[in-house]
Amino acid sequence: MTSSVLASAATAFLVLGGVGAQAAEPKSFLEGLRRHSMVTSTVPANGDQNPYAIVIAPVTAGKVQAGDVLVDNFNDRNNLQGLGSTIVAYRPATKQLHLVAAIPRNLPQCPGGVGLTTAMTMLKTGWIIVGSLPSQDGTTKTKGDGCLIILDAQGNVAGTIAGPNINGPWGNMAVIDNGSTATLFVSNTGFDVGPPEDEPPVVNKATVLRLELSIAEGKPPVVTRQTVIGSGFGEQADKDVFIIGPTGLALGKDGALYVSDALGNRIAAIPNAATRADSAGTGREVTKDGLLKRPLAMTTAPNGHLIVTNGLNGQAVEIDPVTGQQVAARWIDANKAQSPPGSGDLFGIAMTPSGDGFYYVEDEVNMLVLAH
Amino acid sequence: MHGSTTRHFAIIAWVASGLLWSGTATAQSEQEPSFTTGLWTRGNLLGDAGGVRSGLWNVGITIGIQDINEVWGNVSGGVRRGAAYDGVTLLSVGLDTQRAFGWEGGTFNVSAWNIRGRNIATDNLLSLQTPSGILAADTTRFWEIWYQQSFLDGRFDVKLGQQSLDQEFMTSQSASLFLNTAMGWPVLPSSDLYAGGPAYPLSSLGVRLRGQPAPGVTALLGVFQDNPPGGPFNDDGQLRGSTRWGGNFNLRTGALVIGEIQYALNQPGNGDMAYGSTPGGLPGTYKLGFWYDSGPFPDQRFDTAGLPLASASSTGANALLWNNFSIYAVADQMVWRPSEDSPRSINVFARLMGAPGDRNLINFSVNAGVTLKAPFEGRDDDSVGIGFGIARISNSARAFDKDVAFFSGVPLPIRSTETFLELTYQINLAPWWQVQPDFQYVFNPSGGIANPNDPTRRIGNEAIFGLRNTITF
Repeated sequence: MTSSVLASAATAFLVLGGVGAQAAEPKSFLEGLRRHSMVTSTVPANGDQNPYAIVIAPVTAGKVQAGDVLVDNFNDRNNLQGLGSTIVAYRPATKQLHLVAAIPRNLPQCPGGVGLTTAMTMLKTGWIIVGSLPSQDGTTKTKGDGCLIILDAQGNVAGTIAGPNINGPWGNMAVIDNGSTATLFVSNTGFDVGPPEDEPPVVNKATVLRLELSIAEGKPPVVTRQTVIGSGFGEQADKDVFIIGPTGLALGKDGALYVSDALGNRIAAIPNAATRADSAGTGREVTKDGLLKRPLAMTTAPNGHLIVTNGLNGQAVEIDPVTGQQVAARWIDANKAQSPPGSGDLFGIAMTPSGDGFYYVEDEVNMLVLAH
Repeated sequence: MHGSTTRHFAIIAWVASGLLWSGTATAQSEQEPSFTTGLWTRGNLLGDAGGVRSGLWNVGITIGIQDINEVWGNVSGGVRRGAAYDGVTLLSVGLDTQRAFGWEGGTFNVSAWNIRGRNIATDNLLSLQTPSGILAADTTRFWEIWYQQSFLDGRFDVKLGQQSLDQEFMTSQSASLFLNTAMGWPVLPSSDLYAGGPAYPLSSLGVRLRGQPAPGVTALLGVFQDNPPGGPFNDDGQLRGSTRWGGNFNLRTGALVIGEIQYALNQPGNGDMAYGSTPGGLPGTYKLGFWYDSGPFPDQRFDTAGLPLASASSTGANALLWNNFSIYAVADQMVWRPSEDSPRSINVFARLMGAPGDRNLINFSVNAGVTLKAPFEGRDDDSVGIGFGIARISNSARAFDKDVAFFSGVPLPIRSTETFLELTYQINLAPWWQVQPDFQYVFNPSGGIANPNDPTRRIGNEAIFGLRNTITF
């Protein structure tokens, strides 16, 4: 009773300001969005912070239901970067958050420990694969090479993928999932990166790695082939955000893999990403600068446009990958605690299953947000 | 004094126990980083306090402890010279009802102060615009106790309970760098409202509505009890009765209505679109507000019989004038930054307000200043500022002074305006630790009142040095 009266008063208050203006036909995917709703805190019981990767579960398996929004944490409860070890899941139907995996801080097969990154996927077979770029002190001074960790749908570690091609698996994964086989694309931003002090240099050694997997019935995925398809991207240690490097990966309909080159402030395309046998270097430049302000995670909207989050402000930018046009940007995080607003706050992004919006994280406040 | 000090030690002991708990946890698990790992970059000295903070957070509870200690000394002017220590500890507990029990949009907040040390303003300076906003009567008391409910995705909210108006009304982001009291809760309401109004260290019962009727526009409207201690205007101290411990939920006196409209310039909101890469304009915030008090206020010059209070035949009791009001304006504007993502910026601010002169000591006040963030290379979170404040003694109060001089036949000083100048530098040693050296110069303390040590002379201009240390646990 009381709350309905207050709600009516609130509505009247807002109508006075002329909120109900007619909307024009949207010119872009971002323009068609209406609301930004905080859906859940992403902090699990162990206090891990700094939500990074977002993945929509494709199937129901173990602790996960199809449509669950999986989120991993890069920081531990003391907010130290590169020490987060948990994956949580938000279930839209019940609006509840639950823990999917609490990975041991140290895995013998994962050099340097465990600090979960933006590289995460869940396969149709129920296996979850997540990247680790670990630290012991919250900075790159103590970083390890890391690995990819394979988990079953109960959150148990079933294996790891490590080796000379893997060093700081970082960027959000692009995936071709055929069930018994799958192809993963992941960026590596850890090669020869030093401590963050004294103006750390940009090291042009970041790669995009293609991993081809074979998945036998009831068995964890096995890597059958590894190919570096992109190389020479910039990577840099950073005292505030740990590391900067290529972060967003999204597959286009033309077979190209689009890469957000954070330090180059550009979007690059690697042609024939699923089939090529060599490195395309830093790829073909699709677009550069303009609305881009350190582009990070990336996804593809139903209209085929790329949606990429900015690291240096609170905007998401929409790009037509065919023409390279930067269509528009939308403030999705206007948090004035940072300058510019939302700077350093955005990271992962994932389209909703229906394509009517996207989930993203505000990592400063450990929240999962839905733009729809 | 002794009792409050004991309580202060108790708080420190509690904090220390968290510290030890953290150390114990470290010993138990080799993988757990030590207490010093990330010490200089984390937001709180104690970090997660051995799991206490994250454990409570997960059930919706946040605990904040902030400790401020400072030393002030006047090297000239005042009624005496010397240095004094003062300090406060603020404990606040918040409850997010969503995380606690699934009720969306609700927040409970309870806070309490331990206030200690000497008050150099009352001991040495007798100025109106006192050098530090934390100077107050020595006690331990509850401060705010309220519940806030938000609606419509946070675009509208209602706050009910015991509130301190300086947290939301008349605020200026740039002014908050400065330490002088008038840079926080301004000198006009501080002098003209009962007991200084519901502002630190006091609070009042009331309700406050807040909404965003249009992009960039925020409107606030509140109704509060106008007199936190509940006594007469001239005898309404911070330690009156149960006000001493923050338990005076007085509803017997007048109503204080306060409203404010705020406009955020060049500050994006969620959902705003951008189509070009031209840099955004420099951000600013502009506020216009008023307050109205329905209670009785003492005439500054005349008594209940209509005679000058200073005359020998006066009843000695001020005439009471019903109602009081003020209008005010606040401007905060960034005026320069090298680039949009640079930490360095220059900001200016100004706050002006006025009130009727017949029933108020101060009928006009202004404070303004300039701040520079990131003044030096590698000091991104430091700030330096220079500012000033002026409090104008109302014509009625001046006339009272003239009456006193006339009726006594002694050439006593007539009050006019008090002005202070402040220069301050906030060093951000860590997100949880700030050290702030400060200098203030007060011209014409209290508008030029007579020095109690020599009533024919005014109190001399005051040069004041201070050093504040702030730690967030």
